[in-house]
Amino acid sequence: MESFYTKSEQVQQIIKGLNLTKTLYVSSIIIGQPHIGKKRLLAYLFPDTPIVSGTDQEAVESMMATSDELIITDFEKLPNKESLDFDNKRIIATANYIGNQQTIDTLFAFIYMMPSLKERPEDVLFLKKAFLEEACNILMIDISQFTAAQLPTDLTGNSKTLKRSIFHYLISRTLEKEEIQEAIYNYLLQHLEGNNGYKEHLDLYEVPLIRSGLKKYRSQLKLSQILGINRNTLRKKIHEHAID
Amino acid sequence: MNTLSIDFRPFVEWDNNPFILFDPKGKILYLNNSAEILLGYVSKKELFDLALAYAPQNFGYKTTALSLKYEVFSFYSITVGYENEEQLSIRFYNAPRIRNSIPVEKEKLSMADINLLLEANIALFKMKNPNQLQLLTDPDLPQLKIDQNRFSKLLRKVLESFRSSDSIQIALKLLVGEHMIIDNQKIAIAQLSVSANGRYADADKEIVSLCEQCNISYNLQEFIVKLEIPLIQ
Repeated sequence: MESFYTKSEQVQQIIKGLNLTKTLYVSSIIIGQPHIGKKRLLAYLFPDTPIVSGTDQEAVESMMATSDELIITDFEKLPNKESLDFDNKRIIATANYIGNQQTIDTLFAFIYMMPSLKERPEDVLFLKKAFLEEACNILMIDISQFTAAQLPTDLTGNSKTLKRSIFHYLISRTLEKEEIQEAIYNYLLQHLEGNNGYKEHLDLYEVPLIRSGLKKYRSQLKLSQILGINRNTLRKKIHEHAID
Repeated sequence: MNTLSIDFRPFVEWDNNPFILFDPKGKILYLNNSAEILLGYVSKKELFDLALAYAPQNFGYKTTALSLKYEVFSFYSITVGYENEEQLSIRFYNAPRIRNSIPVEKEKLSMADINLLLEANIALFKMKNPNQLQLLTDPDLPQLKIDQNRFSKLLRKVLESFRSSDSIQIALKLLVGEHMIIDNQKIAIAQLSVSANGRYADADKEIVSLCEQCNISYNLQEFIVKLEIPLIQ
């Protein structure tokens, strides 16, 4: 059983609208950016309704012929929308963008615009907590070391980038020395070439070293002592790597 | 045939075309039944001004073809005339009502709760518009057979035509004692009226087309939309 959480007023209105029309033979569409929870919302509200992707016109048509209730995802990708007849059917569609406004207007009685995650800050914190829990489970990491508030918030691709950034964050903070070496090993295996390889890839070690040192000791003088190198050498390297 | 002894008044009285007789100051001397109903939709002064504007220059009668619409009334022509300086008559000719050419295919309609359809459409409208809404509805309205998708589209278009109005009144009620004849059957009518201090007419063509497809009578005015919905069972 799918669950769906939202504190966004606008999404709650969409849920209300869809619940009201649940028993009616009307066509509805939810339009909004990718990865904002459109499909999940429908799976939660209509758990028993068959789902078909708009990328396959034939499949859509054949399912419409046999079922009077259908969820069509990626509706914008359907090549021949105008040929569909939604009379006396309960059709619920999702689309990442409107496309031809006239077609949408003609086919659908209920047109809902779902806000992106950027417009739903109240939902982002919940998702961060959920993704943190999921990531800790999968990566077998102790969750008590982290809080949702400290996690990065990359919403450029809505929940997809948010989830990805949280996994990255957790992995990068829990890697053992051998794992870091293995990651660098794999990276170099792919990228090592030419005749200046040593210098070209030195930044893999030096940039994180200097950046973390500056953050930790806040002084180039102190850092040069900690690293056991000359202050001028450190300054030169900071300049070379364009470290702020 | 000597017609002098025939009293023509009842024929005028029961003529479906409105007839009014004014005195020179615009006071009504006589009006038939149909004109009485017409005066519920338009002022006496407006009709008198119309009679003056289209009166013949000399004694006699002049018929002018023009298109007039007063809510449910539409006329295609008027005759204004006078035989003395004391009485001015005006007669309105009803425009023929276009019969709905779309037959009702009951098997293609499905039972629905009209209040539920209205509520869902109001919820949709409220998502996009902060306008204040007042809803007066009759929860006891019977279910009706209707093309739910088309009817929802119609409701959406009607509500959207009021998108810039501050306060919108919506009333849904049963028209007691009024019926529509569909397929030789007497069908009860529910009336949905949506009114505000103004509305956009940009989607009126689509509203009319959807009304016709749903066998709904419509009256689209500047401030109000009235739909008469047959409660097909």
